[in-house]
Amino acid sequence: MFSASHIVRRWTRRRALTLFAAALCLVLSSTAEARTLDTAHGEVEVPESPERIVTLYEGALDAALAAGIVPVGAVTTRGGDGVAGYIEAHLDALSPDARPAIVGVVRELNLEAVLAQRPDLILAAPQLSAEQYALLSRIAPTVVPATRPLAADNWQAEARLYGEALGRAAEVEAAIAELATRSAALAEALAAAGVNGSANLIRWMPQGPMVMSAQLFASGLIEAAGLEIGDAGLVREGGSHSDPLSLENLSRLDGDWLFLATLNAEGQEALDAARTSPAFARLPAVQAERVVPVDGQLWTSANGPLAAQAILDHLEAALLP
Amino acid sequence: MLERPLTSRDAIGRQPQRFAADATRQPGAPSGYWRLAHGEVSLLVERRALAANLLLLVLLLAASAAYLMLGSIPVGAGELARALAGNGEVVSAFVVLELRLPRLVAAWLTGAAFAVAGCLMQTLARNRLATPGIIGIDNGATAFAVASVVGLGVSLAPPAMALAGAATAAAITFGLASGGDTRGYRFIVAGIGIGAVFGAITQLLLARVGIDTANAAYPWTVGTLNARPGGAVMALAAGLALGLPLALALSRPLTLMRFSDAVASGLGVMLRRRRAQVLALSVLLTALAVAVAGPVGMVGLIGPEIARWLGSSRGVPLVASALAGALVMVLADLVGRLLLAPIELPVGIVTAVVGGPWLLWILLRPDSRSSR
Amino acid sequence: MAGLAIGRAGPRGRPGLARIALALGGLLLLAALASLLLGAGEVGPARALAVLLGGGDEEARFVVGALRGPRTLIGIVVGVALGVAGALLQAVSRNPLAEPGLLGVSAGAAFAVALALWLGASAATLRIAVGQLGALVGCACVLSVVRLRGLGGDPVRLILAGATFTALLGSLTSLLLLFDQRSADEIRFWVIGSLAGRRLEDLLAVLPSLAVALGLTLWMARPLAALALGERVAAGLGHRPGRVRLVVVLVVALLVGAATAIAGPIAFVGLVVPFAARALAGPDIRRTLWLCMPLGPLMVLGADVTSRLLVAPSELPLGVLTALLGAPVLVAVVRARRLPTL
Repeated sequence: MFSASHIVRRWTRRRALTLFAAALCLVLSSTAEARTLDTAHGEVEVPESPERIVTLYEGALDAALAAGIVPVGAVTTRGGDGVAGYIEAHLDALSPDARPAIVGVVRELNLEAVLAQRPDLILAAPQLSAEQYALLSRIAPTVVPATRPLAADNWQAEARLYGEALGRAAEVEAAIAELATRSAALAEALAAAGVNGSANLIRWMPQGPMVMSAQLFASGLIEAAGLEIGDAGLVREGGSHSDPLSLENLSRLDGDWLFLATLNAEGQEALDAARTSPAFARLPAVQAERVVPVDGQLWTSANGPLAAQAILDHLEAALLP
Repeated sequence: MLERPLTSRDAIGRQPQRFAADATRQPGAPSGYWRLAHGEVSLLVERRALAANLLLLVLLLAASAAYLMLGSIPVGAGELARALAGNGEVVSAFVVLELRLPRLVAAWLTGAAFAVAGCLMQTLARNRLATPGIIGIDNGATAFAVASVVGLGVSLAPPAMALAGAATAAAITFGLASGGDTRGYRFIVAGIGIGAVFGAITQLLLARVGIDTANAAYPWTVGTLNARPGGAVMALAAGLALGLPLALALSRPLTLMRFSDAVASGLGVMLRRRRAQVLALSVLLTALAVAVAGPVGMVGLIGPEIARWLGSSRGVPLVASALAGALVMVLADLVGRLLLAPIELPVGIVTAVVGGPWLLWILLRPDSRSSR
Repeated sequence: MAGLAIGRAGPRGRPGLARIALALGGLLLLAALASLLLGAGEVGPARALAVLLGGGDEEARFVVGALRGPRTLIGIVVGVALGVAGALLQAVSRNPLAEPGLLGVSAGAAFAVALALWLGASAATLRIAVGQLGALVGCACVLSVVRLRGLGGDPVRLILAGATFTALLGSLTSLLLLFDQRSADEIRFWVIGSLAGRRLEDLLAVLPSLAVALGLTLWMARPLAALALGERVAAGLGHRPGRVRLVVVLVVALLVGAATAIAGPIAFVGLVVPFAARALAGPDIRRTLWLCMPLGPLMVLGADVTSRLLVAPSELPLGVLTALLGAPVLVAVVRARRLPTL
């Protein structure tokens, strides 16, 4: 058995080498010249102006759309069989044929479906497994950002890498700069309206709240809008959220503002459910009616320039009187 | 298809095939058997078992051909043959040789390993529900692999951690169940207990990390054949190459152990030692298979069940179990790839959904013949 | 109080039940006190004690009165329900391993929750009755297996059936979660039982079903004890074995469903508590049941207090701790020289 399967593998390898060379020739012939990028899996050569892009990560899809490119394939978002709601808004104008084809869910990529799109560039998440990278990189140059310790501006580095891979570094840079301008303006407007102080971003669980890290994408935007975001010292180093917090310790959430993320549309319902808990009702932010229910899908799991714009929209609507 | 080098079929199917070639029917063989003589050696081959194995082999090859042809990028029979011969068109060659063939080999090996391990333990416990997956070996592997993915300061890769987890769960279970009783009952119950603890630990680990990391750990909680690590597949192949002959060597004492202990020891079976060997082999095969595919459920249950259904009740159908397990795995993964395309279902979910009704049937049958 | 032999000296020279029960009651009081005094928060034992003595600051009064008090009450009720359910189930199936949590209850609850989340509910607002319903269905499935002959007589086969069923439901849950990552995100926090964040209203909602169950238990105690002597004896004493079994299974479903509805799936309490009770009181089901009432809360409160202290300022889920406590007992039960068939 051992020898037999070994033969298969060796035989496969030999064939594969020639195949790979042939495939590479195909790719190279379609582009004038290639550029080299530094990725999590070493240097990767990408075509000068890729045309068929598959994104296997919501952040990559976001960055590609922000740079003005519609990928030919993408993975579904959580909670549905299509892309995220805020992304949908950017695809509305497209004809059904021009929309990205679905090539799997984040948890289970369909490699054949990726191949069926004949991509010339694949943009993937930092969490991509080594085995999957090995296969994907045979289909097309695959760009994977390095895994970084959690930080609120990780998304910028990732978006820049995707932008470079797409040959649209300038567009992505412009989108990031525009965000900086906008959040600064929002911070000014909020300060002028007297909206300031500290804030906490939490998710409400039946056992109690989970405090989200101050290093999250959305936390960074709240910070940029001029509120001081904190995790009450509850989130472990590098963790994205705390364990469900003991209700006895709820009083540690002493921020002036409370952003309550829920993963479905009925944010108000979740807020009402939380209010029935006496410990929650005592919080200063709750007593001052400064609780903002937000869309957890966007606020606690998306990232990218378009997601940032959507979050700032929401902040503006909720906080500006 | 025929130009393809033989793989699992080679090792699994060898025995019946070689002897079938020069089989001579001799007077004096018991009814239902062929007496095969090859020089000095002679062997009684049960006709029905042989027929069952051949049938399973044919089905497995047919399923494998379908597996290589169907998918998001269909490959025709002619193109498949060209791709396998090494002169196919680039894309179909890549699809067949790089994407589907390694996955098919992984399906063969894991299916065979799960089913043989299940058959061994079922026979030992005289209970068809007693499979390594049910008694917590899988849970140990899952807990360790998830710990690796969520990054609990562990540097080992998930497959190695899965192996370590399965070994740990098995070792604790062996330790707690030492001084074993007749049918490995203590082993089973201790395993279920250990499995419950590891299950709780897995839940706790998943609850403490962000959703992206939890997603990355997902394959290790359900079992999948998508992009499996090559090293683990090689280890499993080696394990099967060693384990299958060992299992076959154990099949005679195992056949006798289906009777009561008194009868078995009377017939010369060293019960304690054999029991330990059978359990160890079963656990080893499961651990290696889990390191490849994650905790794929029910194959250890369904494979031997099919084997017993097709074959006769005379022996322990190890070869047939291996073939049936591989067949179930190949078909389940094929269904998982096709059913909701372009979204793939992990194979562990398909086997569970298919195995579920079967299981309920076994459990709910009014006939209490359910121990073998 | 049909034939519950409290107060009488044990028939076979065992220490009087009353004395054991008194000692356990004392321990339970201590555990309840610990549950009121200790917590993951900043209110320490001294401040909490001040509240109990009638004083204390506002924060401490809130923590003890609105958080720890209800939690302790809920722990007591859940402990009684799970302990008694385990004892009944083991008696009726004559199987010392029959434990609701091992028989598909937790898996049933998790599956029901996943289904509800998938259908659009949110973890923050999910009705706990959903979990209760799932627990009931899970329990009923495995129990129906027990009732269809052939499995009840063999202790190991029963829990194998339970474990298999658990695996099956677990896979179905994974199937739902594959398609719905929002549920996947939320259910991670639901599938382990816990007493944190439960409210007195939740307790009040299940009190009627608990009252019915306890009444039925008292009514069934004598027939159940007769049944332990064999079907013929029971029939000779004027009981109908079939009906006794049916009622007991119903009671078990009510008790376990109620406990799961309040606290989520908590395994092994129904195994450990009757095991300890039998060790203290002997095999008589009536004596066992009496002792389960203090022993169940004792285990749940003990585990809950530990869960608050281990990883403060957060808390461990209770289900993890009971699993850690219960697995060794499970092994101890099977390590007994031969499996007793009750």
